[in-house]
Amino acid sequence: MATQNDSSTAAGGFGRVSRTAGLLFRYLLLAATLFGLVVMTVLLLYVANDAFQPLTADTGWHLTYLATLLAPAFAVGAHLYRTNAEALQTGALAVGLVVVSLLFSGGAALLLVDVVVPLELFAVAVAVLAPMAVVVAVVSRDRALSFTAQFATTVAAFYISLFGLPGPLESLLGLPSVVPSLVDAVLYAPYAPDPWLAVTLVVGGSVALAGSRFVAADRGRRTQATVAGAVLVGIALGAFVGPLLGVDPMPATVVAAVGIAPPAVYATGVAANREHERIGLLLPAVVIAGTGLGALATDALGFAGPDSWVTWAFLTSPHSRFAEQAGFYPAIAGSILLMLAVAVLAFPVGVGAAVYLEEYAPENRFKRVVDVNISNLAGVPSVVYGLLGLGIFVTYLGRSAGTILVGGATLGLLILPIVIISAREAIRSVPNDVRNASYGMGATRWQTVKNVVLPRSFSGILTGTILALGRAIGETAPLIMIGAPNVKFAAPTALGEAASAMPLQVYAWSSLYAGEEFYQKVVPAGVVVLVVILLAMNSVAIVLRNKYQTGE
Amino acid sequence: MSADDLEEALTRRTQNAPPELLSRSFFFACAALSIATTIGLVVLLTGEAAKFFSFSAPLVGVTGETATVVEFLTGTTWEVTSGKFGVLALVTSTLMVMIGSSIIALPLGVGTAIYLSEYASPRLRSLLKPGLEILAGIPTVVYGFFAIIYITPALQSFIPDLGTFNMLSASIVVGIMIIPMVASISEDAMSAVPEELRQAGYGMGATKFEVSTGIVVPASLSGIFSSFILALSRAIGETMAVTIAAGSQAKFLNPFNPGSYTEAAQPMTAAMVELVGGDITGGGIAYRSVFAIGFTLFVITLVMNIISDLVAQHYREEY
Amino acid sequence: MDGNDRERVRTRRQVLAGAGALGAAALAGCSRNTYPDNDASTGLSGTVDIAGSSTVFPIATAFAEIFGKNHKDVGFNLQSTGSGGGFANHFCPGRTDFNNASRPIRDPEQNQCGANGVEPVELVVATDALTVIVNDEADWIDHVTVEELATIWSDEERPETWNEVNDDWPEEDIELFGPSDASGTYDYFIEAILHSGDEKLSHRQDYSGTEQDRTILQGVEGSEFAMGYLGYAYYSENTDVVRGVPVDDGDGEPVEPSLANARSGEYSPLTRPLFTYPKLSALAEEHVAEFARFWIENSTNEDVIADEIGYVPLDEETKEEQMETLEAAITEAQQ
Repeated sequence: MATQNDSSTAAGGFGRVSRTAGLLFRYLLLAATLFGLVVMTVLLLYVANDAFQPLTADTGWHLTYLATLLAPAFAVGAHLYRTNAEALQTGALAVGLVVVSLLFSGGAALLLVDVVVPLELFAVAVAVLAPMAVVVAVVSRDRALSFTAQFATTVAAFYISLFGLPGPLESLLGLPSVVPSLVDAVLYAPYAPDPWLAVTLVVGGSVALAGSRFVAADRGRRTQATVAGAVLVGIALGAFVGPLLGVDPMPATVVAAVGIAPPAVYATGVAANREHERIGLLLPAVVIAGTGLGALATDALGFAGPDSWVTWAFLTSPHSRFAEQAGFYPAIAGSILLMLAVAVLAFPVGVGAAVYLEEYAPENRFKRVVDVNISNLAGVPSVVYGLLGLGIFVTYLGRSAGTILVGGATLGLLILPIVIISAREAIRSVPNDVRNASYGMGATRWQTVKNVVLPRSFSGILTGTILALGRAIGETAPLIMIGAPNVKFAAPTALGEAASAMPLQVYAWSSLYAGEEFYQKVVPAGVVVLVVILLAMNSVAIVLRNKYQTGE
Repeated sequence: MSADDLEEALTRRTQNAPPELLSRSFFFACAALSIATTIGLVVLLTGEAAKFFSFSAPLVGVTGETATVVEFLTGTTWEVTSGKFGVLALVTSTLMVMIGSSIIALPLGVGTAIYLSEYASPRLRSLLKPGLEILAGIPTVVYGFFAIIYITPALQSFIPDLGTFNMLSASIVVGIMIIPMVASISEDAMSAVPEELRQAGYGMGATKFEVSTGIVVPASLSGIFSSFILALSRAIGETMAVTIAAGSQAKFLNPFNPGSYTEAAQPMTAAMVELVGGDITGGGIAYRSVFAIGFTLFVITLVMNIISDLVAQHYREEY
Repeated sequence: MDGNDRERVRTRRQVLAGAGALGAAALAGCSRNTYPDNDASTGLSGTVDIAGSSTVFPIATAFAEIFGKNHKDVGFNLQSTGSGGGFANHFCPGRTDFNNASRPIRDPEQNQCGANGVEPVELVVATDALTVIVNDEADWIDHVTVEELATIWSDEERPETWNEVNDDWPEEDIELFGPSDASGTYDYFIEAILHSGDEKLSHRQDYSGTEQDRTILQGVEGSEFAMGYLGYAYYSENTDVVRGVPVDDGDGEPVEPSLANARSGEYSPLTRPLFTYPKLSALAEEHVAEFARFWIENSTNEDVIADEIGYVPLDEETKEEQMETLEAAITEAQQ
């Protein structure tokens, strides 16, 4: 028969792509697809070139790194590609995890060095864990106490622990302080953990717990405890190793806890649990060893690195009128704090609204109006949200302009529709059978939401939120509208303090400073840092989504 | 019994227990906040815009300089200091950005969508889709920077009269920015076309080209159209890229004349940023004009979104 | 002993070991609590909010940076909003401590400040040579008279091409870049150039106005037939891409914009004083008063003001006058 043919394409063998028009069309489409990507890659390479100036490095420097890092990594990668593709994926994931963890550890170190005193973190952690223990005790007596009693006890426990009695109402009602809060008790206790110990216990403790779960989930309590203990000890060691490398103990533990421990835990988990992907760990090992070797070799052989503008000094110095000394630090700090404020404000409200709309709301006109309303809000320009922030928070409520709180609220409103829409998609993707099964067993709506719907849709919600946060990090216009300062010399330390942000600083540099060097040197460096952080966030979101979509 | 009724019946008994009431009210409050946002936006914009226009200013008890609605909507000069508030100058510039960016984004976006849904192998697709998402995730200030540092000089080498600030590079950059939006929504629409339709085409001897352009695209046309409108409303609302690259002089240009793209102009969003830079809480007419422009912008994007919804609803093929 | 006892012994050992480890950690890692131990700073702490002129912005930023290095607990928030914008929207409503201005405060602004209980103290901080710039490759123009400038920038005449102003100039479209109306530079230009003749002309509006001087530079850089005006500091950093046009103030001799000519007063009428206005109530705070003193003390500093930034520093006499005004104000404020 005329149609019996061998050419198999994705369409199941019926499409013949051998005709010229079709071929031309296919390549035209490919060109169209690649156009934007290619242009953007070229532009990013230009910016990276301006920022890092790789061509100013010695040839020897390039050759050394080629030999120690690029060639071995490429060789290992190619070998894995041909023999064990899954291992390659795991290995690549591990490399990505190392990079992202180091980035996040930088941000965490920034917060703990300049913004929050570690003791405060420790105090708050203690003040949260204590009432949690009370809650656990209360819940275990589910039958003895009514729901209202349980709820009241929980609220009271948290309130007293965090605020004391009567807490913030003290100044309003003029009552004397009866019971100090647990936070204050720890903060003003005669003896307290050193900063590094506080960080180890709080941050390291969380990482250790999560890590032990990941590594030894099915090997019993004792193994888990051992793993957690090992991780904790490892992180604590950072406090002693750090000073040897010239780093203060506290930041060293932060880097150990956030930057080194998670990839190490992941690697251990893979090595212990997934036999045939173990070989993939060769890739991160080669990359790390290669980088270290390359650094030692270039040092020993005296090859000069590139005259890069993105240096440690750039990342940790404040702004300066001299382009060579200008730094990005206050902007990075401002961005991180803004992101935290936005996440705290937008995430619960967005997810809550999505849950209401998908689980609780009856199908009536009100719901349709809300649906249309939300998709319209998602399309409103960011400048108009800036106006909203300006008109309501600054003018009407009288808050000072350009603070983290106002900025966080404005950006939070901006991404709220996006969070709601993606959370709804995630919740919608939970099949109805599962819900009905839960209802069939007599569960109430809240129980179903809590035990069935939310756990299953959590990864999708998380992905959507991370993408929305990435959008918020890059927004400049709303911050300009609410009057954020053009120049700030120090990191903001309180929510009511004015803050700069990365894109705002780049914009200020590119438009306010006379010298050409600012424009040619510092601005590309700032752009590169901003883009790298965004790429890291987007990749985390994409990887999360892929993992959980295929894992489902 | 529909799924909803089933759920309702199963949960009716426990509906009013304290945990249920508590959780329900919490979630309702969250959803209500989104409505509160819209109400807040509308109230704020209309309130401040009312102070700007002559006919409504006395109603809100404001004296002082105002502009008439007629002058605002039909005037072609936008010069705040001399009291000329013709928003058309700004609207035509926004229109130029819209047209310029759609020339780039619409064909390329649809082409990308067709390629991804019809031609690309799964492996290629798993590489390209994240790539497009990353493209969409790059901040707009970076696009503006690219426009003025790299694209404008490149354009200046073969368009000699091009000034530093021009609408052309702004439009190009905004176009690249919205390609991922067009591509992803169109691709979703194309994936929703059932395989049977395609197989029917192949079964009749059509080539892949004919199936893609003759069957898939027409079948997903409403989705494609939606994606156009959404992307264009994003282009209209784009602020930083045009502020950096297009200049700060409000001109009334003809958006359909290719020559006007080499000139500098000021779209609505850039005008808002510029005005706010100099005048945040003044309460003068300049401050109110920002809200008047914001109001206009809000109305335009609202209308476009509603059109997109209506089109999607009426013309969507249910398979 | 059987399994149970062994279990118990093992568990007890584990508990003891754990407790011992905890104790050791506590001993090693805990110490005397000195919270909140804001490490003994030099004493000065607080925030200083500065807004206003984009011309004076580089000076304020430079001094804020230097001062901040020696007083780590003093934080600065700086914004460049234009002199008028700063007065109307930040300073007079009471939000900022200093307003920079490239022209003196006006009566309506005084009134607005007074109505809000804000008392400005006028301090001169430097002298500027407002520069008219054209593209480096604009060979068609070698000097400009005050009348020509007034014609070019006036709303009444609004010439479209250069040859309408001067027959020697080419028949090309005029492109103009300048500060927006929130800027003191804009106000000063009107005073000095547009109001210099018999008729008080107004500033044309069909130009690219911006508070960001960098944008003015970029615009002029991009076109051979463009003209702009801005503070000397911005011009002096970019002499390789734009050219300052000598101005003839009517005596037939065009004078080039330069610090020397501004100092001697020959570059007229575009030599102008630059101001900053601290508010009296802010001077009651020690860190603000110290910063103000530091600024005026260093207003004669050649390195920073002339070499790095590009304005004319004050001479000793003027500086002494300003210090006296400042000290009097501080005494009044801190009573």
